[in-house]
Amino acid sequence: MHRLIPLIFIFFIVPTALAHSLSESKINAETLSEPSLIDIDEDSWDDNWSDEEESFSSWSISGFVEGGYGTRLQKNKAVNHDTSLAEFTARLNMNYQAKHWRLYTSNDLVIDELINRSTLNIRTANIHTNLNDSLSLKIGRQVNTWGTGDYLFLNDLFPKDWQSFFAGRDDEYLKKSSDSIKALWFKGNTSIEMVFTPKFTADRIINGERFSYFLPAANQFTGRSFPIKQNNASTLAIRVASNFKQLEYAFYGYLGYWNTPVGQSKQFAFYPKLNVYGASIRSPMATGLINAEFAYYQSADDKHGDNGFIANSQTRVLIGYELELLSHLTFSTQYYLEHTQDHAALLRTSSTSERKAITALNRQVATVRINYRMLRQKLTLGLFGFWSPTDEDSYLRPSVSYRVDDQWKIAAGANIFQGKRNNTFFGQHKTNSNVWLRVRYNY
Amino acid sequence: MSFNHLLKLFFVSFLLSFSLNNHAETQQALTANTIIRLSNLAHYYAGNDGRAEARMKIIDSQGRQQIRQFSILRKDQSQGGDQDMLVHFSRPSDIKNTMFRVSKHLQSQDDRWLYLPSLDLVKRISAGDKRTSFVGSDFYYEDISGRNPTADSHKLVDITDNTYVVNSTAKSPNTVEFSHYRTTIDQQTLLPITVEYYDNNKRLYRKMTVLKTRKVQQHHVITHAKMENFSSNSKTFMQVRGIKFELGLPQHIFSEKSLRNPPVSWLRRK
Repeated sequence: MHRLIPLIFIFFIVPTALAHSLSESKINAETLSEPSLIDIDEDSWDDNWSDEEESFSSWSISGFVEGGYGTRLQKNKAVNHDTSLAEFTARLNMNYQAKHWRLYTSNDLVIDELINRSTLNIRTANIHTNLNDSLSLKIGRQVNTWGTGDYLFLNDLFPKDWQSFFAGRDDEYLKKSSDSIKALWFKGNTSIEMVFTPKFTADRIINGERFSYFLPAANQFTGRSFPIKQNNASTLAIRVASNFKQLEYAFYGYLGYWNTPVGQSKQFAFYPKLNVYGASIRSPMATGLINAEFAYYQSADDKHGDNGFIANSQTRVLIGYELELLSHLTFSTQYYLEHTQDHAALLRTSSTSERKAITALNRQVATVRINYRMLRQKLTLGLFGFWSPTDEDSYLRPSVSYRVDDQWKIAAGANIFQGKRNNTFFGQHKTNSNVWLRVRYNY
Repeated sequence: MSFNHLLKLFFVSFLLSFSLNNHAETQQALTANTIIRLSNLAHYYAGNDGRAEARMKIIDSQGRQQIRQFSILRKDQSQGGDQDMLVHFSRPSDIKNTMFRVSKHLQSQDDRWLYLPSLDLVKRISAGDKRTSFVGSDFYYEDISGRNPTADSHKLVDITDNTYVVNSTAKSPNTVEFSHYRTTIDQQTLLPITVEYYDNNKRLYRKMTVLKTRKVQQHHVITHAKMENFSSNSKTFMQVRGIKFELGLPQHIFSEKSLRNPPVSWLRRK
């Protein structure tokens, strides 16, 4: 712990002091920016919040410190700890805004008791620049999201962190960042976005470190990770989006690799080639919002599905609807279909033990989200549920969060997995069910 | 002399000429509608477009305070008609850089989007109850974006030396929480001075008070207001600064790309 103190100093106190001195010396008087946190004295609220009392700073600093704890609801023999989350996170966001570009950095200092490691994670560090009125570039470490699904991803092939999702970390951490170049061009209502990632970034999958998984070949749960062949090739994701009146539509393309190691060689697992083509729509309908999305996953290393060691091509379809049932009460539901191409060939070329773990020809998942906000939006009760009739398994995510004030927030929840069989998507995580609690202070 | 001013003169003389008329009631309703319509224009449609910075201080029954701070860009499609709005939050830090986009429609439900920067997520929000708290304050969403004047029936109940007092009831009472509300309007600026909301027991439970106005580019604007909620015993102060009208905001900034890439040069004061 002691060795961290200098780090904390460098990381928090120095930049804060620097930002203060910059704003006070008004170095940035010319590059106008939003008011910094410093320029409002909450006690002198009274009459004049005038146009004159400006002290602009182009630097802005914010962040949080958070403690999180989670524990399993049952014994899990495959992993040797009952704790599912035990960490302290200190976040520092430092932004610099100039007239035509901005620097955005976001860093986490994480003291993780679960794996006995302290790390400094650069979550984002990018420069966003407007080349002209219709073209902008974002270069560096960034988080990207698109598509219309809610916790279900079809055309969003950007990396995810499933360990964070299962452990009850903030939703933000479900999206992993990648070192990419993003170009955004638009004209009128139409935009074209391209995200080029020179070095493939995979999902952080459930690998036994925090949560166990089922190993079909050995017919058992395991807490041991398996060797994965690194992949340093590039990926490219494209989206063309537009709208017709209130209806939004988009087309997607992806040239890259499966985000999870769904290829298996004798020595290691690997990320096979994947191309994805898809489309989506989103529009108001009746009193709610409807969305639909389609994606064709072409498993380019196994186009005919006759290689039992590489995932087959898939067609994925999603339809969803959201509405506000009552004031403050939002309800949404989704239906998702994952059709495996050449399913018969896959069965034919797989070993007996693996065959049992192969998903149905048409894997289906239904989801429900209920969100209720009360006490003037301070208290939020939420429930998200996945249920698969074909896998006969489910995953429930109840949560409650209380925003005490502008600084303090307390959140608690659970991840509850159920399933008839050990080898299904959610069923294999039965013994990973957990509850969690997080307390955050925003500054 | 502005168009609004001429219109005002017109309806004041109109009002006087009919005040002793037998059909006073019909005429009064007409006049009340005109007053509310003009007040709505003065309050929510000043200029063809505009920008402003706003901050709110929310004080609950126990005196605990919260702050919200945001910049707004607005563009009118027509006077008194549909509007586009972009809201950029800068405080508190947990919602810093969150963007909110509204496409306000008088004839249908508004379109609303929220951009969460930490996830790079553009979330479209389903149509919701507009008479619920705006970002946890005592102001309702509708207090910020404006309530359609044709949603209510208006009646002029009093004229003082410098104010009009109008009583309004909703045409669809089951969609609102009030039984009626009473607006006191400044004859000179046409801006509200107070708006008082009454429940079914004729009890005053909510009140907006304008504390300060200013003249910016020929338009009178509210720069300091208070919303009190007597049932929760809480109140919110709102202050506005950096107001500028007729910026010539291009239509294309009111789109998804502005959520992901805020139009800084327009949002910031020049």
